[in-house]
Amino acid sequence: MEFGTPDWLESFVKTLNENEAYEDAAATWEGDFLFIVWPDKEKGINEEVVMYMDLWHGKCRGYEMLPNRDAKETAFVYEGEYANWKEIIEGRLDPIKALLTRRMKLIGDRAKVMRATRAAKELVRTAQMIKTEFP
Amino acid sequence: MAKKDSYGYTGKILNVDLTTGTLKDSPTPLDWARQYIGGAGLAARMLYPLLTEKIEPLGPDNPLLLMAGPFVGTAVPSSGRMAICTRSPLTRLWGESDIGGYFGAEMRQAGYDGIFIKGRAEKPIYLSLLFGKAELKDANHIWSHTISATQRLLRKDIDEKRFFTLSIGPAGENLVKYANIMSEGARAAGRMGLGAVMGSKNLKAMIVVGDQPVPVANHDAIVELARPVNKIMMKDFMPDCYRIMGTATAVGPAQEIGAMPNKYFTQGEFPTHDNISGATMSETRLVGFDGCHRCPIQCGRIVKVSEGKFKLPRVNGPEYETIGALGSMMLIDDLDAVIKAGYLCDDLGLDTISTGNSIGFAYYLMDQNKLTFKEVGMNLVWGDPEPVIKLIPKIAYREGFGAILAEGTRSMGERYDAADLAVHVKGLEVSCWDPRALFGMATSYATSPRGGTHLDGDMYMVLQGQVIMELGIDADDPQTDEGMGEVAAKSQSWRQVSNSLIMCQFPTYSVDEITQFFNLVVGRNTTPQELMHIGDRIITLKRLINLNLGFKSEDDSLPSLLLQPLPDGGTNGMVPNLEKQLNDYYAYRDWDRKTGLPSAAALKKVGLADLDK
Repeated sequence: MEFGTPDWLESFVKTLNENEAYEDAAATWEGDFLFIVWPDKEKGINEEVVMYMDLWHGKCRGYEMLPNRDAKETAFVYEGEYANWKEIIEGRLDPIKALLTRRMKLIGDRAKVMRATRAAKELVRTAQMIKTEFP
Repeated sequence: MAKKDSYGYTGKILNVDLTTGTLKDSPTPLDWARQYIGGAGLAARMLYPLLTEKIEPLGPDNPLLLMAGPFVGTAVPSSGRMAICTRSPLTRLWGESDIGGYFGAEMRQAGYDGIFIKGRAEKPIYLSLLFGKAELKDANHIWSHTISATQRLLRKDIDEKRFFTLSIGPAGENLVKYANIMSEGARAAGRMGLGAVMGSKNLKAMIVVGDQPVPVANHDAIVELARPVNKIMMKDFMPDCYRIMGTATAVGPAQEIGAMPNKYFTQGEFPTHDNISGATMSETRLVGFDGCHRCPIQCGRIVKVSEGKFKLPRVNGPEYETIGALGSMMLIDDLDAVIKAGYLCDDLGLDTISTGNSIGFAYYLMDQNKLTFKEVGMNLVWGDPEPVIKLIPKIAYREGFGAILAEGTRSMGERYDAADLAVHVKGLEVSCWDPRALFGMATSYATSPRGGTHLDGDMYMVLQGQVIMELGIDADDPQTDEGMGEVAAKSQSWRQVSNSLIMCQFPTYSVDEITQFFNLVVGRNTTPQELMHIGDRIITLKRLINLNLGFKSEDDSLPSLLLQPLPDGGTNGMVPNLEKQLNDYYAYRDWDRKTGLPSAAALKKVGLADLDK
């Protein structure tokens, strides 16, 4: 499945909701996200890809592809270049390390995120469980 | 008007002889400054011929050198630090600790790059350096007072509304081996017992205020470059975290990977750690911020405990190391107790890391039936904060069991036939970054000229993502030994540069920006690689100093507890292979693993051939 498509998001959410390790790590997490991939014309991504996920107590209780970042207001936005997303999904770049090295950006409550580094890692591990193709 | 070859330096050192009571200016050795930058690097070069094995750390001949670097007091962001160097009474080796706040910047603006202190005053005195005028003044009225009381009393002495202090507390006066030097009750030259050195000299405090600009090559360009750098720092993830949660931001992530000491380094998990996290502190106790000269981050915490048995008015709150050493070390998850313990250490003039380690070691020894209720005068039970609160003043005043704790963990280990259980490196208690979680810390601790400090090589930051790719300071896997010795060596060299400029580690401006700032301050055209070369020179010089002070290569080691697998938690039972890392480290530096000596070629390479014996 191609990364950033509705099918990919659906598969990711399904896998996430079956993942006990994520459920344990994110047991107290409350907060919805926009995951945004910046445009990359070389890869044929002409507009921002915006994925919405409502993460709540170890489960994803709602998700959808959005037409743009203004379509929904969320507690958190995690965004960056396509190439960095690819490295994260492939497990070559830690999602928190990406923030520290300015390769990804986060909008939202830092305190909450710094309490949930294991949940972030489990989220990425879940993405690695699904077969992902990159354009 | 500064000359071209002296940009970045005020050109003067204040020499204080406490025995004779004389004060004299001498020129800053600019030839050495070009080779060692300033701060701890220049201090090492100046102290090299003076630090010999016959110098007693608490004797009058031990020099104490306060040294700023070319960045200090300028418009370079986050550069309000100063190095203080001597022979450490705790390790008996190279002693260095740097301190934030404003003292360093004001000292430079008062016209001095450094203050060189020797001798011993007959009676307690303090040094006043107001607008370039230095005087020694009677300190009988402030002797025996805490840090906060000392500051209050000094305020009555001085007509100036705005001035800055360095002072010791009762711990320094009582020669506690890990007494610190505090600035404004908030910032500490915490490690290695520098406060005891001040105490041994009957030097209670120093006050300073200045109003002269530090001469730099291109002030306007520095301001121009600082503007976007400051802007980025206000938005960057990590500085923003430090602003919101202080350095205690790291509590959650460190616990997650098993890097924080729990139950005296023997337990990997501490399920209730969030009770003492920076996040919890910011949500429940934070009432203000505190920062250093020209720093937009303001990582210092002002907290208030409104009720309960640890009630406190507005005080400086604990940073990460304090929370680890005085909290998780004893499985204490009561944030108010940790705030109180940290405040007591600060006010009495004790290093929180060594204090927490020493008390934690006592808890551990009692747990192992090597220490009794009778000896301590109380039971030490994991998770109980009361003994910590009671023991801290006893350490500072050397009362009862406190006098034993005041000597540090190495001494305690010898006393209780438990030397193999004491966690220290070269006699310095270990910081709160466990090498079993972050393997590069094994080399950082083992080879640090100071011992168990995280501030001689920032592998704890590198291995959590704050890499410096352009200098090869990067490692993907925090738990591999492959190449780690070399990366740690590079990180150590770069840290020598930071400690000489001097600048804080928390800003995220790049190596190129740091180099640009350096060139704009001193009026040169240096490259990052040339700065790294200076870093190699400084670390090698510190090795030579330690060899002169009795260092043996076997001192480059780790305590056995840190090489045993943890039974639980994020380290997954892994331990670093220290020997492999050290072999790589020594090979990279071209030092002899058996003798610890740099080779003649290594000395020549770093420009120290003239010191080859």
